Amino acid sequence: MSEMTYLEAISDGLREEMRRDDSVFCLGEDIGVFGGAFKVTAGFHEEFGAERVLDMPLAENIIIGAAVGAAVEGMRPVCEMQFADFIACGFDQLVNVAAKLHYRQGVAVPMVVRLPTGGGFSGGPFHSQNPEAWFLQAPGLKVVAPATAEDAKGLLVSAIRDPNPVMFLEHKHLYRRIRGDVPEGEHTVPIGEARVVRAGGELSVFAYGSTVAMAQQAAEELDEDIEVVDLRTLCPLDRDTILASARKTGKVLIAHEATRSCGVGAEVAALIGEEAFEDLDAPVRRLTAPDVPIPFSPPLEQHVLPGLDDMKEAARELLAY
Amino acid sequence: MSSSRTETLVEVTMPQMGVSVAEGMIVAWRKHPGDWVEADETVCDISTDKIDTEIPSPASGRLVEILVQENETVTVGTLLATIDTGAQPGQAHAVESNGHAAAPEPQPEPNGSPDRSHVISPVVRRIAGEHGVDLSQVKGTGIGGRIRKKDVLAFIEAGPAQERPLHTESPYRPEPAPAPAQAQEESTGSERRMPLTPMRRQIAEHMLRSKRTAAHVTTFAEVDMSRVVARRAELKERFAARGVPLTYLAFVARATVAALQDQPVLNASIDGDDLVYHGDVNLGIAVALEDGLIVPVIPRAQHLSLEGIAAAIGDVSTRARSKQLVAEDVQGGTFTITNPGQFGTTLATPIINQPQVAILDLEAVVKRAVVVDGPEGDSIAIRPMVNVCLSFDHRALDGAEAARFLGAVKARLEQWADDA
Repeated sequence: MSEMTYLEAISDGLREEMRRDDSVFCLGEDIGVFGGAFKVTAGFHEEFGAERVLDMPLAENIIIGAAVGAAVEGMRPVCEMQFADFIACGFDQLVNVAAKLHYRQGVAVPMVVRLPTGGGFSGGPFHSQNPEAWFLQAPGLKVVAPATAEDAKGLLVSAIRDPNPVMFLEHKHLYRRIRGDVPEGEHTVPIGEARVVRAGGELSVFAYGSTVAMAQQAAEELDEDIEVVDLRTLCPLDRDTILASARKTGKVLIAHEATRSCGVGAEVAALIGEEAFEDLDAPVRRLTAPDVPIPFSPPLEQHVLPGLDDMKEAARELLAY
Repeated sequence: MSSSRTETLVEVTMPQMGVSVAEGMIVAWRKHPGDWVEADETVCDISTDKIDTEIPSPASGRLVEILVQENETVTVGTLLATIDTGAQPGQAHAVESNGHAAAPEPQPEPNGSPDRSHVISPVVRRIAGEHGVDLSQVKGTGIGGRIRKKDVLAFIEAGPAQERPLHTESPYRPEPAPAPAQAQEESTGSERRMPLTPMRRQIAEHMLRSKRTAAHVTTFAEVDMSRVVARRAELKERFAARGVPLTYLAFVARATVAALQDQPVLNASIDGDDLVYHGDVNLGIAVALEDGLIVPVIPRAQHLSLEGIAAAIGDVSTRARSKQLVAEDVQGGTFTITNPGQFGTTLATPIINQPQVAILDLEAVVKRAVVVDGPEGDSIAIRPMVNVCLSFDHRALDGAEAARFLGAVKARLEQWADDA
């Protein structure tokens, strides 16, 4: 074990896999000599050379398209979007080609797209989005969103080894704020398994990415019998863990930074409504950003993003219900 | 749970309901001091001279004070109540903790929320069913006394309190509690005295004002509805399939709108010494309610086809009866049609809806033997006939213009053509 930041854990997982498997390579904008916008690939150019750390033009459709071609030919490409928002430029290659090749032709597309997501730093509407719901509407993609350093490494390694295209959502706010013990060397976390962060009996809070630490803090400060579940994988959802927790507590709060409508919260709420109706003791609630773009203005942005106080208030109201 | 809290007061004021409304009356308070209120939850009902509506809470919090009592009328913007947004559900009301209020002992319920002891969640219902628990015996500790999952589990845990009684009903029947005394309501012998509802008072004021203001004259025309009846029979199913109820009123409304465009003096209002001609026909449709009457307006009716008018009439009358109208729905009318004939009456002299200059009344369509002239001379035929009655303000126009207008409506109905 060694203590790492969330960002260092991502670098560590990627480096381990590139050392272990020659077919793994990364491609993205300014990831070579410059080391990437957030320095995830700092030092990679020196260790692995320009052929395995490809600097790409500002053209996400080419990055995704090239990765699909390489994956079909047996490579394991790891694409970096400079900001998750920019995936929109590569969408056709992603949702119509990468996601559907196996369905149409039985061809595996083992590729990873790393997506720095989230707001909180006045990045404005083009550099702060949480686009996970876009991918959940494209069958054929897996979607993971780690909240801890350990999971960041473990899920990235699993994503690289997975035969499907995997969207790896890494929250920018967590990069240098979250740190923890991470196993050295080989470490994997299975895709599709949620993790009960804190056991409790009166309220289940389902979170992922940036809202997990917030939910833990809220539960501790309220000092109530609250269960916090880190979903970790958004597709495929860990239905068993979600339903077991909802059935146990009967009260559910789903918290994410992404916008509200048709999001992960809506999907989890619908799952619980369908499968655990007779165990509910209160209406299922969501804590999310409203359906608006992320504003530049710092006070407006703080207003839009769900915060600790919002989380505590929602939890208190559900507990009292 | 012991967080110190600050009192942050948010004001509830009499809202501006459209440009012309200056004041409103509190009909009833739904929330009372000490009650927890959610944002957008109704705090009180108000009545203005245009519309009755509800005032939603601007924020979640605890209602601290009510400043305007029921039946008081105040101007727009007046402070009605204050809400403490620093309060928490389940915490005591600030006034109570200051010792001002009348609550000498802790409330039996966790807070002053509306009674929710009857709200049973799915899990509570299931557990109660599985264990044969009589939920009326379980004390709820949730908001408003709601029975929470843990309450029913604790009840089961505590075990059977006593042998279940064989009979759960007592033969003793308590006297019915006397009805709470209604303000100003009195009963003596066979007489019953009730205060006029706000809506009745407004109608009374409005009708008297119109009688005092306008020089009312009413003129009548008999209309042969044969073609309208036939056309309605042809179109009715097709419209109904599209969710549009097709009534005779829709035909009359369409004919009236067309005639108004030819004779704009009837689509006008008197303002002081001026006659104001309105560019649009904003057609008021009088809708009878259980306890009164309201006139929602179909704006720019001159742009609507027969189907468009029929749909609009269906929409506003449905919303009027379900009290879903908003202030804008009852403003800006330029001409009104009233339709009491649905109850079988055949003549009326309606009162003009001020400041308009005329009102058209549609009576019942009845079959009559009438003389018709055909190619072989006069004969007697059975025809569906209707009386349309027009009250007009003789200050604004004269009998000849009114007669010409009514004649035009009659002609359009008797020679019905869809694009008329």
